[in-house]
Amino acid sequence: MGRPCLYGGHVGLEPAVMSERRLAMAAIAALVLLSSFASGMLETQVQTVPQAPVGPAAAKTPGQGTVAAPRPAQERMAVGVLLAWVWLSIAVLLGLLRLRVREADRVFRFGLDRAAGKTHQDPKP
Amino acid sequence: MNVLRAWIEERLGLRAVTGFLAKKEVPRHKHTFLYYTGSSILLFLGIQIVTGVFLAVYYRPTLAEANTSVARIITEMPFGWLVRSVHSWSATFMIAFVIVHLLGIAFTKAYRKPREASWLTGIMLLGASLAFGFTGYLLPWDELSLAATKVGTNFPKAIPVLGAFLSRLMRAGDDVTGDTLSRFFIFHVSVLPLVVMALLGLHLFLVQRHGMSIPLQEERKNVKVPFLPFWPNFVFREAGVWLVLFGLLLTVAVVFAPGLGPQADLMAPAPEGVKPEWYFLFMFQALKLFPSKILGLNGEMIAVLAMMAGFGLILLLPFIDNRPFDRKGRVITGLVWAGLASTVAMSVWSLL
Repeated sequence: MGRPCLYGGHVGLEPAVMSERRLAMAAIAALVLLSSFASGMLETQVQTVPQAPVGPAAAKTPGQGTVAAPRPAQERMAVGVLLAWVWLSIAVLLGLLRLRVREADRVFRFGLDRAAGKTHQDPKP
Repeated sequence: MNVLRAWIEERLGLRAVTGFLAKKEVPRHKHTFLYYTGSSILLFLGIQIVTGVFLAVYYRPTLAEANTSVARIITEMPFGWLVRSVHSWSATFMIAFVIVHLLGIAFTKAYRKPREASWLTGIMLLGASLAFGFTGYLLPWDELSLAATKVGTNFPKAIPVLGAFLSRLMRAGDDVTGDTLSRFFIFHVSVLPLVVMALLGLHLFLVQRHGMSIPLQEERKNVKVPFLPFWPNFVFREAGVWLVLFGLLLTVAVVFAPGLGPQADLMAPAPEGVKPEWYFLFMFQALKLFPSKILGLNGEMIAVLAMMAGFGLILLLPFIDNRPFDRKGRVITGLVWAGLASTVAMSVWSLL
């Protein structure tokens, strides 16, 4: 949009930033491949594990609480896979956010946001 | 797309808001992390609203069905146990962050002029959060929640004059019954959310009105405190914090999913080892420590009045410590530390 960007070829920092970006992309690709492999393994394991009955587990005996953990093996696996995916996604998003934060900080440090029409005062180190 | 944007702008006038956010600044110093606690509370509140709506779809607030409907949620609904666990843990996380947020403000003296109203609304929001926790605790209608609610609703009885009325108002009668359950449910899903939304709106308006406070320690350095633009620099950092907190919440919810006790029996004696939620433990322990009679007066009444006086002092802190911002306020800092230490000690003692 109207916001200056370091990748635009005006500041002279492209090689360092681009190599970081390439590294991040490679890390993301590796993580995606690895997690796909891991989730596939878990799914395979689910298919081989005998399924626990779901219905009777809900029944309670007096004086004994219901345990709120996933009962069927498939749900247990699904939760494990879900958690793995969540943390993987968080790691990827954090990597991307880190790049955006660094870019935003550089834009601010060089005063390019002021050139784009914002009215922040001069930062002091 | 531009036509749609223009249509929205013409009706809502959002340019003023986006313009304000584009110019908003966040001070940058060693206490900047405290600013993230405020937004994290909003994250947990949002999660609680979403998961709460899911739970309300299946929950039935009647004496006969409350416990069985929760059992059904956690055993039959796909990932129902996870939704309930996330709801429960996000409440814990939210209250913990509200406490950390308020402690940060107390230590940095950010409650002083002109931010007195922000402090007042913040303390009221803490009260509303605790009320959420208290009303929500009864809803599974198991032995433990019934016993804890009996103790909790008995607590106001010690207040002179108004005590009995307050207790009846909470219980919808002389004792905890199905009517109490209905009343707590209505408060939990309807009254308290409205109160919180109103208070939160006012609190956020005040925070934007006065800007983020710079801690006294930084002001005294006589160097202009550097800042970050709110958008995008601070928002991106905040998003990172939200992501990590969300991951932690989900992990804790999966590993430590809360169980459900046997259905409450109104005629049965209270089970042994009844304890309230962690944020009420210090009050529970303090009540146990007070003797039944002090100088011929009811010890419980004195304990309750002392606690009320303590909460009153916390609420009115900006008016008690109303000195200029450049005064250090060592006495207040010492009192906050002492209060924190005694609260933690009482809570730990209660658990032993």
